Amino acid sequence: MAEIFDRLIIRILLAGFICLMIYLYRYLHVIFYPSVKKQVLKTINPSENPADTMHLFARMVGIGIIFSSITLNESSGFFLSIFHFSVWGLIAIALYLLSLFILESVVFYHFDYTDEILKRKNLSYSFISMCNALVIAYLTRVVMIEAENSLVILTILWLYVLVIVGFAVKFYGLISKLSFNRLMVQKSLSLSFSYGGFIIGAGILIGSCFDQEHYDITVYLIQVLLKSIMALLIFPLFKKGLTRIFPTKLTPGQTDVEMQQIGYGIWEGCLFLTGAILTSMLVNRIQFGTIYPFF
Amino acid sequence: MYKFFIYSMLVVLYLGLAKTLSPSELGITYLQNEKGFSKLTDKPKVTFILIDTHVTGFLIKTFYQKYRVISDYEEVEDLIVRSSKEFTQKNLDNIGLSIYRRNDGEESFVPMPPGTLYLNDPEFGDWKKNADGVTEWRFNKSYQNFPKYLGWGDFRPDEQFYNDAQLKLRLGESFYGNHSEFGPEGTLTKKAFPHFFSEERRKKIELKTLLIDYFKENF
Repeated sequence: MAEIFDRLIIRILLAGFICLMIYLYRYLHVIFYPSVKKQVLKTINPSENPADTMHLFARMVGIGIIFSSITLNESSGFFLSIFHFSVWGLIAIALYLLSLFILESVVFYHFDYTDEILKRKNLSYSFISMCNALVIAYLTRVVMIEAENSLVILTILWLYVLVIVGFAVKFYGLISKLSFNRLMVQKSLSLSFSYGGFIIGAGILIGSCFDQEHYDITVYLIQVLLKSIMALLIFPLFKKGLTRIFPTKLTPGQTDVEMQQIGYGIWEGCLFLTGAILTSMLVNRIQFGTIYPFF
Repeated sequence: MYKFFIYSMLVVLYLGLAKTLSPSELGITYLQNEKGFSKLTDKPKVTFILIDTHVTGFLIKTFYQKYRVISDYEEVEDLIVRSSKEFTQKNLDNIGLSIYRRNDGEESFVPMPPGTLYLNDPEFGDWKKNADGVTEWRFNKSYQNFPKYLGWGDFRPDEQFYNDAQLKLRLGESFYGNHSEFGPEGTLTKKAFPHFFSEERRKKIELKTLLIDYFKENF
């Protein structure tokens, strides 16, 4: 009974400590986003600006996703496990914020947070930002798990995943019929659903490419690269196939207007997401076996 | 047309990178025909015994061969190579035979029983009479494990075997032993390299059996 009670207390204390780390994140967030100082540091009214609420709290979800990758080993002592969590928690926060900063600089090159969120309350911007935050959190979690507490490998994998995500984001312009910059100015939710489906799909796909056993970092990186290129080859087949199975038709002369409707964005988003999930299955969940056990 | 071009370039890029970088493509040699053997080893006295073949792939087949490579001083290794379809099929009847031999720079590609290379070489052994008065080849003590590596078991070649082998060698014809001890029908080969002859490898699985086994295993 005493042991069970002790373990319960440990969990309660750890919950408190994790909350403390998230509190710390709140202040670190301001370093990368100085313009949000007022919003982050004061008491927040979620109803006041839904765009800002979505933008900020998506990051809270993200940090939760990343923290879930850290393993706590209580057998080595409570304080050591707390110290381990603090070190890797801080590294995770730094990587997460830096990744978000870099990704948003690429995606929202022509847009500014203050203008779009604080002044224009652009829900499309905040929805896209939320999807980016969740995907980056998921991918940071994947590389933290794959790094297995090695800072060098974590750095290499993190840089690698950022490069791949950077290319993936640029790929959106090639496969979507929607004009990103124009529809963003128009606060189009069609764009946000389409991009959301795409980036979440890309995140699942990239994450699954990294999810494999590794004994040698060079071989591992080569495998990830080959799988990523393979995904580029398979994804268009699913996109084409799904478009043929569910044929869509836009009214002639009204094409541009209809593309701005939420329905079109949902259709594109679902198409990208389904394509990416099925691609990840074909790229990662197919076993060809090996000749060695049988030969 | 433009998209098709980009897609084709991606396919080429993937195949090129996979061929160059993929770990599965590294470390396995391709053997197109007999002439490739000389590149596989630089040992002055060596014999390659074909002990198994394997085919993988659904539409495009990949062929593998497994050789037992025996060189001087009991250096024995089992070597897997990727081979061409023609070469693999040509040698299906040569399982258990020595496909390639090199003796001080002189190469021979005529399929012969394993160990022919060492017969009548005083460095490796000599001819001795057994209890029945038959003259047999016996390896020296330092090569006492060679019969095991060569898949001979209790078999010891006699002078008749040696003479017949030399005759076939000069004629350039395959030799399977005086009583067909070696090769796909050879009793010694079947005993020494049973994996190639195993029931599971030989039997053709019917679709009905395959489905029944699948449901038994999975549900």
